[in-house]
Amino acid sequence: MTAKILTRAAVALLGTIAIPALAAAQETPLTIGMSTTPTTIDPHEDSSAPNNATSRHIWDSLINLTGTSANDPELATEWKAIDATHWEFKLREGVKFHDGSAFDADDVVASLLRARDKPSQGFASYTRNIANVTAKDPLTVVVETKVPDPLILNSVSRIRIISADCKDAPVQDFDNGKCAIGTGAYSFVSYTPGGELTMKRNEDYFAGASHWSNVTLRFLPDDGARLASLLSNEIDIIEALPADGMARVEASDSLQVVNGQSSRLVYLGMDVSRDASPFVKAADGSNLDENPLKDIRVRRAMLMSINRPAIVDRVMQKNGTVADQFVAEGYAGHSDAVESVAYDPAAAKALLAEADYPDGFSLTLHGPSGRYVKDAEVLQAVGQMFTRIGVQSKVEVMPWAMYSEAYAQGEYSTYLGSWGVNTGETTNPTVALVATRDEAKGTGRYNGGGVSDPKIDEVLARASSTLDEAERAPLLEELSKQTFDNLWILPMHYENVVLGARKTVAYTPRGDKYTLAYEVKPAN
Amino acid sequence: MVTSIIRRLIQAVFVVVAMTVIVFIGVNVIGNPVDILINPDANQAERARVIAHYGLDQPLWRQYLLFLQGLLHGDFGNSFVYGRPAMGLILERLPATLELAISALAIALVFGLPLGLYAGLYPNRVSSKLIMSGSILGFSLPTFWVGLMLIMVFSVELGWLPTNGRGPTLELFGVRWSFLTGEGLRHLLLPAFNLALFKTSLILRLTRAGVQEVLPQDYVKFARAKGLRERRVIAVHVLKNLMIPVVTIIGLEFGSLIAFSVVTESIFAWPGMGKLIIDSINLLDRPVIVAYLMMMVLLFVVLNFIIDVCYTILDPRVRLDSKA
Repeated sequence: MTAKILTRAAVALLGTIAIPALAAAQETPLTIGMSTTPTTIDPHEDSSAPNNATSRHIWDSLINLTGTSANDPELATEWKAIDATHWEFKLREGVKFHDGSAFDADDVVASLLRARDKPSQGFASYTRNIANVTAKDPLTVVVETKVPDPLILNSVSRIRIISADCKDAPVQDFDNGKCAIGTGAYSFVSYTPGGELTMKRNEDYFAGASHWSNVTLRFLPDDGARLASLLSNEIDIIEALPADGMARVEASDSLQVVNGQSSRLVYLGMDVSRDASPFVKAADGSNLDENPLKDIRVRRAMLMSINRPAIVDRVMQKNGTVADQFVAEGYAGHSDAVESVAYDPAAAKALLAEADYPDGFSLTLHGPSGRYVKDAEVLQAVGQMFTRIGVQSKVEVMPWAMYSEAYAQGEYSTYLGSWGVNTGETTNPTVALVATRDEAKGTGRYNGGGVSDPKIDEVLARASSTLDEAERAPLLEELSKQTFDNLWILPMHYENVVLGARKTVAYTPRGDKYTLAYEVKPAN
Repeated sequence: MVTSIIRRLIQAVFVVVAMTVIVFIGVNVIGNPVDILINPDANQAERARVIAHYGLDQPLWRQYLLFLQGLLHGDFGNSFVYGRPAMGLILERLPATLELAISALAIALVFGLPLGLYAGLYPNRVSSKLIMSGSILGFSLPTFWVGLMLIMVFSVELGWLPTNGRGPTLELFGVRWSFLTGEGLRHLLLPAFNLALFKTSLILRLTRAGVQEVLPQDYVKFARAKGLRERRVIAVHVLKNLMIPVVTIIGLEFGSLIAFSVVTESIFAWPGMGKLIIDSINLLDRPVIVAYLMMMVLLFVVLNFIIDVCYTILDPRVRLDSKA
């Protein structure tokens, strides 16, 4: 207390003499409660969301990926494709690392190659097409791709630029701060694995110094702990506000709920390839001659039977938005031609009868528990709604560690899946979820339903090699249309990003669910 | 004494080896770590590269032999998840857990022993009955609920204590500790109390039962008949004799405080080992699980040994060497 009074007196005194001293004494700390824990500070070890969100505070990339997946200039001021496989990036002048050393093309070359060659292969999906990176001059970098790659800009936006001096440093050197030196808005102060990361403002940040003088990321995966920290005013903003705390936050004078839509699609996958699917039986439990899920009318009837608005509203407590296709409006590849399937159990029953299943059939739904927002509860609700139109459904959920491989390998008949559309466009989910499984081409890795649609494969191949945006846009939309006209997977909802915050801050949630201190603004 | 130590060490080695085999097979049965670790965008070729990098392409028995080979060189392997040596990760978090466990144990002893003694000596007083009923609450209320209530009352409503985290730490012997700073102590209070609640009740009840068993014994009557002061009778004759079961429990419970404080650590976001091991199990991070369990086996072996040594001090009839 005394110390506080003394500081105030000192500040008041200094303020009359020297203005800069006053500015330095003003502390504007910001504490963010993260719902997931990064595994390391090393920005190239693992490309998981918590790791990338954390590294984003200390480091920059060539391109800034905005909350709606647009590419904005960052360390690169401009870029262009020289030919189909060469991209040239002009670097920003006068940028300095936190330790005062200058940033140049060597750092970019070292960083992109380090991310590509790390044995953990965390960034493989972004670096797989990078053939070589060369420095043309200190402020120009050329990235050579193995094939024409329209997503190279998105890929480059994922890779943080570290100092070339640290290119051979092991993970430890980042965690203990020795190499945690970037060009970003905040510089490293201390890190406790599983505890917190503290940083201070980079006064020379090229895009303008942050409003926050000190930023602390607290890692609080426990819902109760995170909520308590917010309620006791220890933390300014928390990720993944628990549904149970929503009412308390809304009722509070000093707190607010911040809601936004994420690019994570939750869907129901269906076995559409096997003639005898392991978990589909006739209504009386006997084996069926054919797999009803292969019939588009059955799939449509099933989707019609699900009251998705009610699921989003009640089961998920408004933590989701009903989805009809891979991406929401505003993202590349959203197709207006995709028809929204409305809830209509009577019509669903009629459609089932038309498809020759008047008595329905029986089914086991599989899903993870604790992986997606209210995943087990959502699946229970779906099971009951299926049963209402005669598709008697049993629900089985299991821990992610057991579920993840099994569903990707197609061991189930109907399963709950999810995909975070990382790139903000539709080739990304198409490659993983509905393209024909092909190990050599690396497609269909999570195509657990065995979808194989030649038209999708053909359009995907064209979209993946077309660099021209105008030419590419209709192809991306075609992917959405082809997938969801045929209901190869049943779209459920996009998960919402729900944060709890004090009313002193303002924040617009990002589609990728990252919470970035630099984008948190003081209210008003 | 020496033969006893050697015998125990040999036993420990066997337990450790058996445990590593169980963990290797167990993790393998649950699922494939690669499916959890790898970025879902990775294609099959990239997957294969990662699998090879972690050595998971080898048959299980060879993975195990490679692990043993590393072990002989003091290398527990790198964590799949954190990309750093597994043992280093665990040791980094050890101080936080130790600090919490020791504080909890200290609280449990400071409250449990005197209260138990009191309840045992004067079983018919109302206050004794209150203490005993209170202790029932102490071990029947679930830790996570008590923890949340403590946070709600002392942090959210009253605002006296911080909700979670370790607070500022100071370095001593190259390790960072919370209890050296005032703010750190405030952070430590709630989790330590939460963890101590169950142990306090346990020690309390054990002490009371011991007192009631010892009091009617002939040597206590004789000591009183000799005209010794009541204080000496209790402090030497009663307390020393009831300490044997209490020491056993303290030793074992200290082990479990260290090994299984995960609930408290999660609720209070205390960056200790308990959180690490649960995360590692969820992510099938085998090197960390193995290294952690090996350390726990050693810890329990050492604790048991210390307990045995305490026995000989407390009760001269127990001689380690005389045991067959």
